[in-house]
Amino acid sequence: MNALVLLPIVIPLTASAVAVLIRAHHRLQAAWAFGAMLSSFICSGALLWAVWSSGAPLVYQVGNWAAPFGISLVGDPLSALMAVMCQLVLTGGFLYALGCRDQCAQYPAFYPLFLMLAGSLTGAMLTGDLFNLFVFAELLVFSGAALTAISDDKFGTEAAYKYFYISFIASIALLLTCGSLYASYGTLNIADLARRIAADPSPPLVLPAMALLMVFFMVKGAVVPFHFWQPDFHTAAPTPVHAVLSSVVVKLGIYGFLRMTTLLFTEQAEVIRSVLVVVGAIGAWFGGLGAVGTYDAKRMLAYSTLGQLGFILVGIGWGTPLALSAALVYAFNHSLLKAAMLMLAGSVASYAPVKTAAFTAITGLGKKLPLAGVLFMLGGMGLAGIPPLNGFVAKFMLFSSGLDARAYPSLAAIGLAGIVTVVYVFRAFQRIWWAPLPEGVKPKPYGDRLLAPAFLIALSVILGVWAEPLIALSQTVVAWMTSPEQYVRAVLGG
Amino acid sequence: MEVLLALTISVLFATGIFQMLRRNLIRSVIGLSIISNAINLFLLASGAYQGEAAAYANAAGQRSDALPQALILTAIVISMGGFAVVLSMLYVLSVRYKTSDSDEVKGLTH
Repeated sequence: MNALVLLPIVIPLTASAVAVLIRAHHRLQAAWAFGAMLSSFICSGALLWAVWSSGAPLVYQVGNWAAPFGISLVGDPLSALMAVMCQLVLTGGFLYALGCRDQCAQYPAFYPLFLMLAGSLTGAMLTGDLFNLFVFAELLVFSGAALTAISDDKFGTEAAYKYFYISFIASIALLLTCGSLYASYGTLNIADLARRIAADPSPPLVLPAMALLMVFFMVKGAVVPFHFWQPDFHTAAPTPVHAVLSSVVVKLGIYGFLRMTTLLFTEQAEVIRSVLVVVGAIGAWFGGLGAVGTYDAKRMLAYSTLGQLGFILVGIGWGTPLALSAALVYAFNHSLLKAAMLMLAGSVASYAPVKTAAFTAITGLGKKLPLAGVLFMLGGMGLAGIPPLNGFVAKFMLFSSGLDARAYPSLAAIGLAGIVTVVYVFRAFQRIWWAPLPEGVKPKPYGDRLLAPAFLIALSVILGVWAEPLIALSQTVVAWMTSPEQYVRAVLGG
Repeated sequence: MEVLLALTISVLFATGIFQMLRRNLIRSVIGLSIISNAINLFLLASGAYQGEAAAYANAAGQRSDALPQALILTAIVISMGGFAVVLSMLYVLSVRYKTSDSDEVKGLTH
């Protein structure tokens, strides 16, 4: 039963190795990889169901080594929810890759790399060991950078190089954290560390370790002072890849901050929270204004990710149970919506005579794509937080938790920044769907299929109209998160 | 021994950061490599956290902590893979942009 934690990690990684072996048969490889994605999604769903219905986390000790000595994989409510979110969007991204006309999706290495990305991201969410987190994060960066470097865009390699270089520096920060914490406490198991740090926060290396771990998660989550790689990366990456990277891979940072404030550094959480509120509010403005001022639809959505992550970080920074559950719901919804919006932008770009998402090239192309227009409109309403979509539910929860926490300055800052969202989303809509097609531009007759974004948008409409299950789930997760001793007991036993 | 190790780590770090801040792309990658070696030494030092049973000077009857050495082994393997990837990307960049000056590699900035 506890092996259920292992399955969402092992299935994609094994399938990735097998997919390399069957690279000569492209269709077989695609079917195999899609089957693996679907089954690991189902396994992560089963994991969440098992955790939710039993109320106890599933812990798998790799190799049967007892907890603080071996590597533990922990499926507690938070990581199970995150794993389901990742697998859902990754499956959507894979679906898009199957129907996409990019040359790079035909390469024999594409599906294995995509599966590796899926396995390592889920692994990073489910692991209970700091060094294992480093291993999975490195695997994530390798596969993400390789998938970008093979992009059809001629600047793909440049973007991948920037991403890889900055992520490598983040990994160095994580290794320094591992060394500092190991020197202080002699363990790298997160539960054991949490217990020991709470018992004795005096060793001098604890605060540097905390700062370096924050740097790591900020780079992973493209939080504002460490966001440099993100807009460039998303301009050049292939559509299925950046739809996944901009929506769920950045959530690794969100997950990390949730873990840091509620489990690892509960004593020092106030410091982390105040930093998060500041960088979140700056990020909401910076991302919003950056999105308004940009020249490319994909780049606009990349900046928009910076802004939306700002909202989530402010929610984590407020730190009340309501704000935490709002941040979780927001993160879930943002993953669905942003993946769908990036897929739609990529799909429109695939109709352009020369494949690019620059506004000068895609103005007026929407006349041929009324369905994409409807979906983009719905997604934009979700991002801006207009009622029938789930974005409204998330924003409403976030703002009411801010009122509840009496954090008026930061609430005013992100409330005003929310208006900017409306500006850039509808400006993009106008340019693509309302403006007339310029003279002499001949769109391609075929482009990427819209099945995957339609699926994700439909899901977010359903979650907007019928929001109770997700909210109840997030409240369960938060109730679990706010008592870290349960996590420690579940992992270490006793 | 501890002072010597600390000095080595600091010198490696300083050299690595200095190289990373150079404009030449190849030098910056070499700086990254130097820093990752400094980190390996730092992890080695963290295994001797009681200050007595050091990993590098194993006195009779004392044993050093073996776990950091396993961590270093993993980190070395991963950084080797990382440099293979980053050098291959650097090769493509140098062919495509005909330069190794980081200011000239700016296709994505408008």
